[in-house]
Amino acid sequence: MASQANIPLPEGYQLQTYRITKVLSAGGFSIVYLAHDEGDQPVAIKEYLPSSLALRREGDVLPSIAEDNLATFRYGMKCFFEEGRALAKLSHPNVVRVLNFFRANETVYLVMRYERGRTLQEHIQQRRGSMKENFIRRVFTLLLNGLREVHANKLLHLDIKPANVYIRNDITPVLIDFGAARQTLTAEGFKLNPMYTPGFASPEHYQKRELLGPWSDIYSVGSSIFACLAGAAPQAADLRLEKDRYVSATKLFNGKYSDQLLETIDWCLQIDHAKRPQSVMALQKVLLRERDPEGPSKRSFVANLRGTLVKLARR
Amino acid sequence: MKFSIYQESRQGPRKSNQDRVAYCYSRDALCMTIADGMGGHLHGEVAAQIATQFISEAFQREAKPRLADPFKFLLDSITNAHHAIIDYANVRSLLETPRTTCVACIVQDGLAHWAHVGDSRLYLVRSGRVEAQTKDHSRVQILVDAGRVREEAVAAHPDRNKIFNCLGQMGPPRVDLSRRTALRHGDTILLATDGVWGPLTSRHLCEELLRNDIVKAVPILLDMAEARAGKDGDNASVVAMTWADELAAEADWISTVSMDPTHIKTTMEQFGRSKPPPGQAGYLTDDEIERAIDEIRNAIRKHSK
Repeated sequence: MASQANIPLPEGYQLQTYRITKVLSAGGFSIVYLAHDEGDQPVAIKEYLPSSLALRREGDVLPSIAEDNLATFRYGMKCFFEEGRALAKLSHPNVVRVLNFFRANETVYLVMRYERGRTLQEHIQQRRGSMKENFIRRVFTLLLNGLREVHANKLLHLDIKPANVYIRNDITPVLIDFGAARQTLTAEGFKLNPMYTPGFASPEHYQKRELLGPWSDIYSVGSSIFACLAGAAPQAADLRLEKDRYVSATKLFNGKYSDQLLETIDWCLQIDHAKRPQSVMALQKVLLRERDPEGPSKRSFVANLRGTLVKLARR
Repeated sequence: MKFSIYQESRQGPRKSNQDRVAYCYSRDALCMTIADGMGGHLHGEVAAQIATQFISEAFQREAKPRLADPFKFLLDSITNAHHAIIDYANVRSLLETPRTTCVACIVQDGLAHWAHVGDSRLYLVRSGRVEAQTKDHSRVQILVDAGRVREEAVAAHPDRNKIFNCLGQMGPPRVDLSRRTALRHGDTILLATDGVWGPLTSRHLCEELLRNDIVKAVPILLDMAEARAGKDGDNASVVAMTWADELAAEADWISTVSMDPTHIKTTMEQFGRSKPPPGQAGYLTDDEIERAIDEIRNAIRKHSK
């Protein structure tokens, strides 16, 4: 076994009306299971079980929570409720759907629709970046429909990254994992683990959290598109604040993708939040715009030619 | 780097837990620390906390992703932790400086380096045998070295708690450095406080580590230590790491190859833990939990149509 981790519920375990099939993923904060309901429909169930506070040992169902940790355990439960509240209000084809929420085994469970497919992260890893522009535009345009719905409900996702974008087998995306989502950011200013992923989190995630807004999710969208091209996230925002080593997408991928897409990435990845697209709509407009009629292949030829000429001129 | 790691700290029958454990790792280096605040002295747990936190923070600053010189890092960070404890006492005008033992181990390039002050121990266990072990800075260890006390009798010796070297003491502590030791696949490095090694023998450790991987073995060893010590037991803490070849098949072990070189993961018990007092904002009562669940279920129903 790896480092300290909770023992998941066993296969076949009957959790209220659901039967546990297997573990889909396990993190420091929760375990996600594949399960089947009474109608034998597959569902994904997320179990709140922060391993630093509650430990379930081999053969047990109830986690043991030290008296000392009980208050913190319950405090963390608030974040879990926040996720449930956020998702319950959203009914959109590009946002994961919550089906049920209940209390059992001294903790709480969130039941979601089970989607078949793979994360965008897996797509990126398989192709080592360099995804087709058409695929990127399609996936992100649809994803932004979902994100627009999130923002319209006065919510921020705050942890958008390729691992949290699920691509169904029909190539439609679903935004998953609202574990970091917050209603209003003043709400008691959650001190418990401000969650973020380096490279995808905006500069506001690290400092001046009061500036978090739709533009922060948009920064993460920009990083995610960047990762589709590069195979990895751009330099982390906190390091960019110290010394910005971000090389613009326009420069890095010149000729390989349309200028317009590359400029859009750079626009989303502005350090100054006011200089980014201010709303999902603004960003969607650009992504939806017809691609350059010249197309990337022709451009790259021209760009190459230009490059060669420059080299020749330097001699 | 590829390894499996586990840490646990138990209060035992004592009124407070003055032990502290922590580990952190970057892509290329791993740091483990254990400290045992000294019970007879005021604020023992403060000293232990300062020591583990200070060393971990130094590691976070310097391991980007490698340490320039692991031994120099150990020497400097432990010595500086000692000064941080003294400063803490001075600023608060404490009558007595808090004191603690400390063991820290750095693994980098497949080589282990460690340093210790006091009687918390590090064991390197290879194929069921103790390959290397720290030597306590205790009065009873001097007697063992002189051949006047047998190793097995240390735990029962009346002087077993008297240590002559610790952080927070008058005058600079003596930091004992190990040799640079190449790790082999399956080697376990185990750092333990005297609440663990006292009631157990090294044979217990080795046998248990042969039988089980550390994630299972360490809780069993702590159970054994607690059971053997009974009501006279002490705080008992362990951080243990089993090393694997980079290409070993243990898929669920920690592999740092794909880590961002600027990133560091840290696992440390927080001092006093960020515990919101009951009744204040943040604490949820049973009623509030039920209400939150009802509210969510209603929202789901309302929006499913």
